[in-house]
Amino acid sequence: MRKPWIAAVAVAMPLTLAACGGSAPPGTEGTGGGEAGGSGDTITIGSLHPLSGAFAADGQQMDNGAQLAVDAVNEAGGIECLDGAQLELASGDTQGAPEVGQSEAQRLIQEGAVALVGTYNSAVSQNVAAVAERNQVPFVIDVSSADEILQQGYQYTFRLQPSAAVLAQRGAQYLAEVSEQAGDPAQQVAILHEQGPFGTAIAQGFTAEAESQGMTIGPVISYDPASVSDFTTQITAVREAGADVMMVAGYYRDGVLVANAVDTVQPGLDAVWGVANGAFDTPQFPGEVGDAGEGFFDANYRLDMTNEDTQALAELYRETHGDDIRTAAVLSYDAVQVIADALGRACSTDPTELRDAISETELDSLIAQDGPIAFDETGENENAAPILMQVVDGTVQQVFPSEYAETEPVYPASPNS
Amino acid sequence: MTDPTREHGAPPLDRGTVSTEEPPQTTQLTTPAPGGRRRAVAVRVAAVVAIAVVALGLAYWRTGNEVVVTQAVLTGLMIGGVYGLVAMGLTLIFGVLDIVNFAHGAFLAVALYITVEMVGRFGAHPYLALLVSVPLMFLLGAAVQRFILSGAMGKPLENQLLITLGLALLIDNGLLLFYGPNPQSARLPNDTGINVFGAVVTVGRLLAFAVALVLAGLLYLLLQRTRLGTAIRAVAANDSGAQMVGIDTRRIYMATFAIGTACAGAAGVLVAPLVTIEPTTGELFNIVAFVVVVLGGMGNVVGALVGGLLIGLTEQLGALYLPGQSPLLSVFIVFVLVLFLRPQGLFGRAA
Repeated sequence: MRKPWIAAVAVAMPLTLAACGGSAPPGTEGTGGGEAGGSGDTITIGSLHPLSGAFAADGQQMDNGAQLAVDAVNEAGGIECLDGAQLELASGDTQGAPEVGQSEAQRLIQEGAVALVGTYNSAVSQNVAAVAERNQVPFVIDVSSADEILQQGYQYTFRLQPSAAVLAQRGAQYLAEVSEQAGDPAQQVAILHEQGPFGTAIAQGFTAEAESQGMTIGPVISYDPASVSDFTTQITAVREAGADVMMVAGYYRDGVLVANAVDTVQPGLDAVWGVANGAFDTPQFPGEVGDAGEGFFDANYRLDMTNEDTQALAELYRETHGDDIRTAAVLSYDAVQVIADALGRACSTDPTELRDAISETELDSLIAQDGPIAFDETGENENAAPILMQVVDGTVQQVFPSEYAETEPVYPASPNS
Repeated sequence: MTDPTREHGAPPLDRGTVSTEEPPQTTQLTTPAPGGRRRAVAVRVAAVVAIAVVALGLAYWRTGNEVVVTQAVLTGLMIGGVYGLVAMGLTLIFGVLDIVNFAHGAFLAVALYITVEMVGRFGAHPYLALLVSVPLMFLLGAAVQRFILSGAMGKPLENQLLITLGLALLIDNGLLLFYGPNPQSARLPNDTGINVFGAVVTVGRLLAFAVALVLAGLLYLLLQRTRLGTAIRAVAANDSGAQMVGIDTRRIYMATFAIGTACAGAAGVLVAPLVTIEPTTGELFNIVAFVVVVLGGMGNVVGALVGGLLIGLTEQLGALYLPGQSPLLSVFIVFVLVLFLRPQGLFGRAA
């Protein structure tokens, strides 16, 4: 009695597996990703982001952003000079781990991705850039700030977001300008930064620029963002040192802890000044910390909410995903648009021709920056720049420079006053 | 935790009492006289006080500001209480079941989300979630032990370790799937700061600290004063011996794992207002909790509390001595030192 069952299962198993396998690998649809250059095909773009793990919140948003860009291109008729070829997004989960990102990048390329976008974590981007270079597949970085990634002489890697050096320098300039305009120039700036390459690079760049603007820096306190659980001691040290502004470079979870500690300790600062801070300009931040975050500044790259197209995208995102779009997701959107634009000009999916087309990009961005997206010879976006934001009445508002301002900056913005 | 007795095959230690005997097998280590023990305790207390004074002096010398030092000590104690609370459940499971429970942080994360649900759905005070979280987590722990871990009891350590690790991944990603990756919060209403010698502490931290102490006391009473506790300790000391005198060890294993998980449930609710709640938040506590468990002596609940306080203080004062380093650096310096001087942990019995 048992044997027929076993035989039936044995026959059914490979069939079901085959059925699953047939639709699973995204790059193999149509006539196969390997020869995607043909007319009327689907063209696969690889999206590498941390979809699980500690960075999943940003990673999933970014993957959604890339998908919305693909949908937008397809709805507008695909890539025109390739007979309206449709784009398709193949997603890989980096888990925020460099080695996982590397193998996922390899997989997506093997499955026929003509270009990659990603990856959020600098360490992951560094590995993916190496893979892209070896395989000669263009890689457009949406988010990853480490300066070193583009200092290897890579030909196939491009970056949309401003580098750490630009972020830090502008962050210090904005502080000087805003505090002077308010008639209360910042004098002593304490620095609180996460101890990784990102926080350290921001702290160093900020220090150099702030000192040349006549500010004194100190105390400089660093912390481990992965294990820190309380900032009251650090904020007490800032209060006792008598600093009038505190610059903070870090991520989301630690940013929330900083706000809570500032609320508890009452350090009497004129401003809490984030630079490329992962918390202070997110839509979630005011909701989580409440009044404790009121008046916090952040100088960071930012989706341009004064731009109608950005507003439309934010609206679309809210409809499709029921959440506020984050800047990182807009950068992923832009990254896919850069590739689509280059495909349209190269009229080819040949990676080398695509690379050359990307290097000649001149595309309007949904991010607030100095001009259209354009890459210099190292692959940096020449016009990438941060703008200044502030938490005003529980929402994050663009406040400086004036061409991007939704409202005037409030300075001094002594927290909890 | 069996206590290998020294009588059998112990190497001939260079002790006056041993050398006179002919075969080392028959030697017995004499327990120190009560007077000697009291002296040993006094020496140890003196040593701890001396180290504390030196540590505070050094911190003051580094910062030159007594308020910062006071704040560091106060914050360290508050955080340490939470660490101790998290580690208590872990140490119990470690001590009795010999399971390195990697899912402890994930259980804590479940309790965090129970708190979020209670606050979000019913608008309850976050700490009222204790009433729901502790019984629920007790049942979850019992079920996990009974249906998942019981088959691996007595098997090599890796088996249980991999099961709990897999369980942790399952829970973390289940939470990710169900709640999404966006951070959540469960804030305490009217969480104001209280001034202590120029330093400040919030009501929330103070409450978490106080409840941690109370729970440690309750757990201690449970282990020392009840029949269940006696049975648990008997199984911890020698499980086959306990079985022989009629203790149902399987039931004790289940009860212990359930109690340990309930501790994670309590800890999760208490830390919920103090942290950003994400599916991976529980993992943050895992490493520190393991350090605390080993530091305090495996299976020792009081040791876990003291170890937690020590680690909390080390983290905060260490950040003053070694600015710009991970707090884990100073934690592991202390950890290695303690294990060098007392390999069995602060409160552990010599094994």
